Amino acid sequence: MIHVILIVFIITLFYLSIANRMLTYVKVLALQGVLLFFVAFLQLSEINTLNLIFILLETIVFKAIAVPLFLGYLLKRNNITREAEPFLPNFVSLIITTAIVVATILLSNSILDSHLDKMFFVVALSTLFTGLYFIASRRKIITHVMGYMVIENGVFVLSMAVGNEMPMMVNLGVMLDIFASVLILGIFLNKIGDVFKDVDVDQLTNLKDY
Amino acid sequence: MLSLVLTVIAALFFTGIVIRTKSLASGRKGPGIMQPIKDVIRLFKKGAVYSETSSFIFQIAPTIYLASIVMAMLVVPFGQTKGLLSFSCDFIFFAYVLALGKFFSIISAMDTGSSFEGMGASREALYSMFAEPAFFILMGSFALLTGYTSFQEIFAALHIGSYISYALAGLATFVLIMVAMIENSRMPIDDPKTHLELTMVHEVMILDNSGFDLGLILTGGYLKFAIYGTLIFNLFIGIIDYQYAIPLFFIVQFLMAVIVGLIESFSARFRMNHNAQFIVALTSVSLLIFFGALLMLGKFN
Repeated sequence: MIHVILIVFIITLFYLSIANRMLTYVKVLALQGVLLFFVAFLQLSEINTLNLIFILLETIVFKAIAVPLFLGYLLKRNNITREAEPFLPNFVSLIITTAIVVATILLSNSILDSHLDKMFFVVALSTLFTGLYFIASRRKIITHVMGYMVIENGVFVLSMAVGNEMPMMVNLGVMLDIFASVLILGIFLNKIGDVFKDVDVDQLTNLKDY
Repeated sequence: MLSLVLTVIAALFFTGIVIRTKSLASGRKGPGIMQPIKDVIRLFKKGAVYSETSSFIFQIAPTIYLASIVMAMLVVPFGQTKGLLSFSCDFIFFAYVLALGKFFSIISAMDTGSSFEGMGASREALYSMFAEPAFFILMGSFALLTGYTSFQEIFAALHIGSYISYALAGLATFVLIMVAMIENSRMPIDDPKTHLELTMVHEVMILDNSGFDLGLILTGGYLKFAIYGTLIFNLFIGIIDYQYAIPLFFIVQFLMAVIVGLIESFSARFRMNHNAQFIVALTSVSLLIFFGALLMLGKFN
């Protein structure tokens, strides 16, 4: 069952790479939160109950509800246009994402360590790299936040693989990370939206010394 | 033999159900289930008109198109029962016999000398080229999973037991439905109802075919859908007795027709330059199936 959910998780990455609208990104992030909730529920059966409840609440409340709502609010508040505006065509994005997944599978297959759960490792690593790729290839600041969320999801999946031994630390770190990033960038975006009405990273290239 | 008969029976109703679903979804009553067959019978009673500029290729192409589809139908099994033909690697035969028919329909479109038809032909060639890797990676991973190379042996050995095999069968169903939509030039990549030559893909290729030839091409289209429906049914059947398998077959075909109708009703056609990325997405999904098969085999753990 966990494997099925992880495969669906990889498919959401493919979908994210060909999505056109900002709202689709938000919805896919919410879906990833729900998927992570189920993975956590099924995988972390050996840790104590309080801790499990904390992690489950974190995934379902935070990743699946609060952050997507907040991102949707930011989209509306700052009048950000609906298109994602990547630097590369979606077609190339899809091929690169596929290449990332294949490369991580080949990489993990060459690691001969019996302690490692390969499925989690592959999903986590490919999510990490795909998130990095989204950050590098999208034009708007808010898409960078979303790429960051994807990376956090990847870290969460990786922590899940070892979650039964050391759950608390990893998840606190992950949660704090997201919280800080969304809060800071949200405030940042709000200010920028009020003063400049435009959040296109591409315009930073026009800055120069005279 | 069984699969041949059942597929032909399913093909009689398939397109009618698709059309009826579409009209119900848009709030109309719609034509009867048998209307597409009645159209074909009407066309078969007519003669064909040939342009003076076209050569003999244009005249034989519809026949070869239908013949190739019937040939492909021969190798499709019904669960444990073999198709009329069954040999190792017959899924390659299946794909390339269909491709042969498509090749002839493409060169007959070029033969008319119409610029619109040339454009439609080039688009159709491009789409089927993109759909091919998805199909082969899918069938290849099933061959790897089961260790056999013919349709009948693969489907007979494909046991659905664990969760991951359900996931693989679900993904394979998705890929096969989408490949069927691409092969038949249906909605997400091509709109059969469009009226403008510039936006047609398959329809513009058969603009010059009339009467008997048009009937042959339409029959081929109906059969193709039913063939893919049979393939999807085979993914799930495993070892079931005939008295359950045959009703199940018609239920699966009916469901697939309804799904195709719903996809056509509720999705808009993609922009021309989005089609390529959509079709390559199928290849990505079939790569996942491939790695899932490796996972099940324990080659990768």
